[in-house]
Amino acid sequence: MLEIKDLHAQVDGKEILRGVNLTIRDGEVHVLMGPNGSGKSTLSHVLVGNPRYEVTQGSITFNGKDLLALSPEDRSHEGIFMSFQAPIEIPGVSMTNFMRAALNAKRKYFGQEPIPAGEFLKLLKEKRALVGLDAHFMSRGVNEGFSGGERKRNEIFQMAVLDPCFSILDETDSGLDVDALRMVAEGFNRLRNERTSAMVITHYQRMLDYLQPDYVHVLVKGRIVREGTKQLGYEIEEKGFDWIINEAEA
Amino acid sequence: MSHTQYIDLYRQHRADLEQASTPCLNARREEAARLLAAQGLPGTRCERYKYTDAAEAFAPDFALDIKGLSARVNPYDTYKCAVPNLSTALFFVLNDTPCTAPPASRVALPEGCVVCSLREAAEQYPHLLEAYYGRAAGHDSGFSTGHDGVTLLNTLLARDGMMVYVPRGVKVTTPIQIVSVADAAVDCMGVRRLLVIADDEAEVTLLCCEHAAGKARFAATQVTEAYAGRGASIHLYGIEETGERYTRFHNLYTEQQADSHVTATTVTLTCGTSRCRIDARLLGPGANVSLQGAVIADAQQHVDCNALVEHMAPDCQSNMLYKYVLAGHSLGAFAGKVYVAPGAQRTAAQQTHANLCADATARALSQPMLEIYADDVKCNHGSTIGKMDEAALLYMRQRGIPEAEARLLLQHAFVNEVLERVHIPHLRERLQHLVEMRFRGELSSCRGCRLCK
Repeated sequence: MLEIKDLHAQVDGKEILRGVNLTIRDGEVHVLMGPNGSGKSTLSHVLVGNPRYEVTQGSITFNGKDLLALSPEDRSHEGIFMSFQAPIEIPGVSMTNFMRAALNAKRKYFGQEPIPAGEFLKLLKEKRALVGLDAHFMSRGVNEGFSGGERKRNEIFQMAVLDPCFSILDETDSGLDVDALRMVAEGFNRLRNERTSAMVITHYQRMLDYLQPDYVHVLVKGRIVREGTKQLGYEIEEKGFDWIINEAEA
Repeated sequence: MSHTQYIDLYRQHRADLEQASTPCLNARREEAARLLAAQGLPGTRCERYKYTDAAEAFAPDFALDIKGLSARVNPYDTYKCAVPNLSTALFFVLNDTPCTAPPASRVALPEGCVVCSLREAAEQYPHLLEAYYGRAAGHDSGFSTGHDGVTLLNTLLARDGMMVYVPRGVKVTTPIQIVSVADAAVDCMGVRRLLVIADDEAEVTLLCCEHAAGKARFAATQVTEAYAGRGASIHLYGIEETGERYTRFHNLYTEQQADSHVTATTVTLTCGTSRCRIDARLLGPGANVSLQGAVIADAQQHVDCNALVEHMAPDCQSNMLYKYVLAGHSLGAFAGKVYVAPGAQRTAAQQTHANLCADATARALSQPMLEIYADDVKCNHGSTIGKMDEAALLYMRQRGIPEAEARLLLQHAFVNEVLERVHIPHLRERLQHLVEMRFRGELSSCRGCRLCK
């Protein structure tokens, strides 16, 4: 699915990623952990093609394609989805229009006709139920007046509608109460299958419990310094990052 | 001194002009000539013309249609309405000459309601013309805002215009549409005058469309005076679809009696230079005025709105909302002032001007002002100038929306707040569609109008 080799990236002239290597196969869920400022969000922004981040070295292959050569929208069409850490508010663009524009752009990319109105509304209804998002949110501006929890649920809802094969969850659990977290995690789990993969950035054990990831990676100062199973995640929850940082620097 | 050529022109052709016009209009020319000679046309050193130089705009030697020569085309035959699904009582002004509607295209208006040229008004309703012509536009006797040189120029040279009169208690449900088409073979100036009178408890909606045809330069001075009686409602909508060679100076003066309601909405789709001065006077308690504008400008376009709301009585409300999307090397200026007279207690005024500069080369100028002489008032003003939200763009692109489409959606959403206030659903939808086409670059300078093709 995804192969990152020796990835170096900078933002505003400052190098954040300093040689990341990571392979994610079909059906796998990988958790990325690491202290603040280690480059987790940078990696996700590089993957979606945020123009602020400049890749200076290395390569990313996504389903056999050179990901770095694609525009953010084409990466989306190819199946990459990111649940943003801080979903943006877009007043004046209704959720319905936003989703229709997104869905139809994807269909156009694959040479398909725009989705018929009835089918579209049915799809929205079905996916809203998945994360418990009320119908009235669809007529509001994108994330306009949404609470923190509603925004995160809205991210998973969009993911459900767009049906990506690779999802990035950038601290989707932050700012959520226990019930909202469960709903978001359950929504995500229901979308999982043997051909979808995910990279999940989290600081919390609860997320590990819900998602049961295949691998856990620890990113420190722009490099992956340790890899393991979810046991590694529990160990970090208990002991913090210092021992890993110390080992890495030793 | 650009004004002297027009005063000279007036002096040379006074007899012809007076013959082609009416006594009521003629009676005001000498005073206008005297004042204009004394003060000239306003340049940027004049506070209310700080962002648009009228002296420079009228400096070219524009030709004038002094005698009111007949139009070379009949717009009623050649023009097709660009606002479908909206039945309007349609009238045309070609350059500055009102064209009498042929019987076939007349929509029945309620009894007593009048839409006619000022020359017809002079014959049939001289009392109305005498009572209202030039009153609001020259209200310097009371609270003074100074003589406006462009209004003086208009008063000096106005030959004809349109009058809309709605008698007491009459509600005109069909919008009255006045389409002004500038179509000249040589560089010329149009002098248009519009008088809107809604008597007590009357209601009327006016849709004024500005179009430009022809390749010549056109400079327009337009003066609109609107009078809302007690409890009356006037809704004025202006749509500008002119061209880069079109310079428009529009001065709107409104006077409102108690409990009246006036809205003035302008949508600038395409233009060359568009300058608008608004003086809204709230004279009776409980009056309410809403001024709003949506501007889409690019290339070298120059848009300037200078609005003054005068709260002269207590318990009045005013609301200004202007949103500009500026691209290319365009310039968008806005100066808005709320004046609260002594004793105008419980005034509520809101003023908002927001700009979206889509390109780094576009410029926005914003000047909000409050002048308050009463102590129990609620007046707010807000002004913002921002660029395209890069985070929102990335968010949309991540969801697969192509960059150009994402920009369009963001810009459309930005001005849509103004369009949402259009009270006729069909007109609102049509304007939203025209705005979208404008953003997509699919708008010809004058849609649906065969004059331009």
